[in-house]
Amino acid sequence: MPFKYYGGVHPDEMKQPDLATSFIDQPPQVVIPLQMHIGAPCQPLVQVGDHVTMGQKIGDNDAPLCAPIHATVSGTVVAIEPRRHCVVGDLVPSIVIENDGLDTPCTDLAPLTPEQLKDPDAILERIREGGVVGMGGAMFPTAFKIQGGRGKVDTLIINGAECEPYLNGDHRTMLEHPEELLKGIELVRIAQGVETAYYGIEENKQDAIDLLNSLNPAQYGVVIVPEKVKYPQGAEKMQVKANTNREVKPGGLPSGVGCNVVSTFTCWSVYRACYEGRPLIERVLSVGGTAIKPANVMVRFGTPLQFIIDQLGGFTRPIDRVVLGGPMMGFASFDQSCGLIKGISGLLCFTEDENRDVEEPTCIRCGKCIQVCPMKLQPIHMYMYTLKKDFDNMAKFHVTDCFECGSCTYNCPGRLPLTPTFKMGKGMIKAREAELRAKAEAEQAKKEGGK
Amino acid sequence: MEEKMLYKVSGAPFVRAKTDTQRIMLDVLIALLPAFCVAAWQFGAAAIVRVIVSVVSCVFFEFAYRKLMKKSSTIHDLSACVTGVLLVFCMPAGVPIWMIVIASFLSIVLVKQLYGGIGKNFLNPALAGRAFMLAGYALFMTTWPVPSALKTAVDGTTMATPLGALYGGTAAEMPAYFNLVDMFIGKIPGCIGEISTAALLIGFAYLLIRKVIGWQIPVTFVGTVAVLTLIFGREGYGNVEWMLFNLCSGGLMLGAIFMATDYCTSPVTPKGQLIYGVGCGALTVLIRYFGGYPEGVSYAILIMNLLVWAIDKATPQRQFGVSAEELKAAKQAAKAEKKAAKEAQA
Repeated sequence: MPFKYYGGVHPDEMKQPDLATSFIDQPPQVVIPLQMHIGAPCQPLVQVGDHVTMGQKIGDNDAPLCAPIHATVSGTVVAIEPRRHCVVGDLVPSIVIENDGLDTPCTDLAPLTPEQLKDPDAILERIREGGVVGMGGAMFPTAFKIQGGRGKVDTLIINGAECEPYLNGDHRTMLEHPEELLKGIELVRIAQGVETAYYGIEENKQDAIDLLNSLNPAQYGVVIVPEKVKYPQGAEKMQVKANTNREVKPGGLPSGVGCNVVSTFTCWSVYRACYEGRPLIERVLSVGGTAIKPANVMVRFGTPLQFIIDQLGGFTRPIDRVVLGGPMMGFASFDQSCGLIKGISGLLCFTEDENRDVEEPTCIRCGKCIQVCPMKLQPIHMYMYTLKKDFDNMAKFHVTDCFECGSCTYNCPGRLPLTPTFKMGKGMIKAREAELRAKAEAEQAKKEGGK
Repeated sequence: MEEKMLYKVSGAPFVRAKTDTQRIMLDVLIALLPAFCVAAWQFGAAAIVRVIVSVVSCVFFEFAYRKLMKKSSTIHDLSACVTGVLLVFCMPAGVPIWMIVIASFLSIVLVKQLYGGIGKNFLNPALAGRAFMLAGYALFMTTWPVPSALKTAVDGTTMATPLGALYGGTAAEMPAYFNLVDMFIGKIPGCIGEISTAALLIGFAYLLIRKVIGWQIPVTFVGTVAVLTLIFGREGYGNVEWMLFNLCSGGLMLGAIFMATDYCTSPVTPKGQLIYGVGCGALTVLIRYFGGYPEGVSYAILIMNLLVWAIDKATPQRQFGVSAEELKAAKQAAKAEKKAAKEAQA
């Protein structure tokens, strides 16, 4: 029986779990940013003019917090230059590959031997080499997460909540590759060195729960935990609470309370890297919204967004916003020539109809934001003080502890831009801290200079 | 290239719940409908006309003020309609029409708009309007037309309310037609919207189902009144009977369900709402027992309105991931630090 937590909302699900994963043509060109993870950016390992094969490692960095990137098609490197990053929005160094259409596979990574499949360190090394990152959106290098958790983590939680509306990638993976998925979870479990992995799945995926249970998950050391349908059930802290009743400390990580949370698609990617020697080069992308035909498609990273949209028949209605990721925590995209990156789980095309923003947002003090905040914060006060740039009170009301799930903003009848304001407020706090530090350092230097 | 820039860019989330301010206010109006029906049944055209006058003048003053001040119009959010209905619901059916217009002006302009409009006033506009009227025109505000259900039993056109009878006389003097069943249904004299406990409870159920309000304030408010009246009974009445008389008479239900739960003038923290409800209940009983008026609900709520800011501040949410002990320890550490800093200064 999963444990309860405070708050949460119930947005319309808008999911299309019955659409089987389809495939689209590969684009003539892919744009692969050297930064598709949290941590140090990769350094290119190829040069313009080089011929690369599908799955060949083309970027890496020796820094511990990094995940290598791989060519997602075979072909020729035509440029290594700054291109717009679809999430960051800035120009970041990217590798552009002209597709030769052959998909010549790379043989650098061989499938692991049966002995290696039981060796935690071999698995961990392969997870790193396979470029596996957290596919739920955070893009945290998985190998680093597992390694960092060793010795601290006693409970491994696999996240199959997929609580965001419109998204079905995890659900499709459960239905289409259940056995591979369980094997992937087993690998992560072995790498983490724990006996059991708890697999939290929201009850709206009953068919997947039944299917996985029918495959005797116990033989892989997996326990399926059906969870209540509630957003943000899939947030890391919520998963930890629901499965273990432990609460991650403010500012802390799940490993601080002995837990690590790994997402469904990540586990399947681990399976492919270890059993098939196939690095992470593609993912299931859920396409939805009223301005496009819904679909669940397997897309290679670096595929320009516009190419995906065109392949699916283009916009069916006048477009208002294009959203990458889920509608609650995603990002608005303004340049459709960007290449898809690892952490993007959805491509949503919205018309005016979905836009419920108003010209003059007004707080009516209803307190509904407080009722739904899963972190038990007080968005109404955080908003007020952030707008006033009252840093003392922003700290007192814990603006930095908001993880931007968007529940308060979703629920706000006055349509206040709460979450965007908190994002801005966090940026302000960071900038101010840097400024104060610089000032202190300058003063220190002056003092020393005076002596 | 040009087409690309046509897309709007905004921050997440990109979806919003259907319920907006207008829908909430509409729900409140719907929840007030049963009480309105009972009023029309007991007071006839007099009540209907007064409700219409009050709503129209509240909306007019809101519109005119915003227009005059060159601010955007806010009448579409329906909050002025709600104020209009609530204002007239806490006045007797016989008050002169011009009084309603003056009260609307005071409620909307003085109490609500001068502080910035919806969400910014600190007193409940309807109750403040009523308080002004009670202070200025006490006679009109305490003259109760006879409801149609009592026309045969009572001579004349006006009569005392059950609360007035409870307040002024002994148990033996209590008229027989003030029995609990009739009071619950609403066959009693009183302010337009307050007479029927049953109708107001139906509205409460609707608001709860629609999640417009939480249970906290109404339940603690009414609960406190119930407990206090049960403990401190009155001679000549059974304790339970006395308690039920108190619950079904006066503006308690109207106040607890519709006035005290006004978003803008009640605490936003769940714990604060409990304190606020208990405070309202205790003050109501205090005024009913010891005050100069038979009824204490409106003043109890107005006094608690003034404490909302302090209550909110005193009852912050305990953050996810922080246990009660940790919070206590952190508070003590902060206190000790402050003390040490003070001593160091001295």
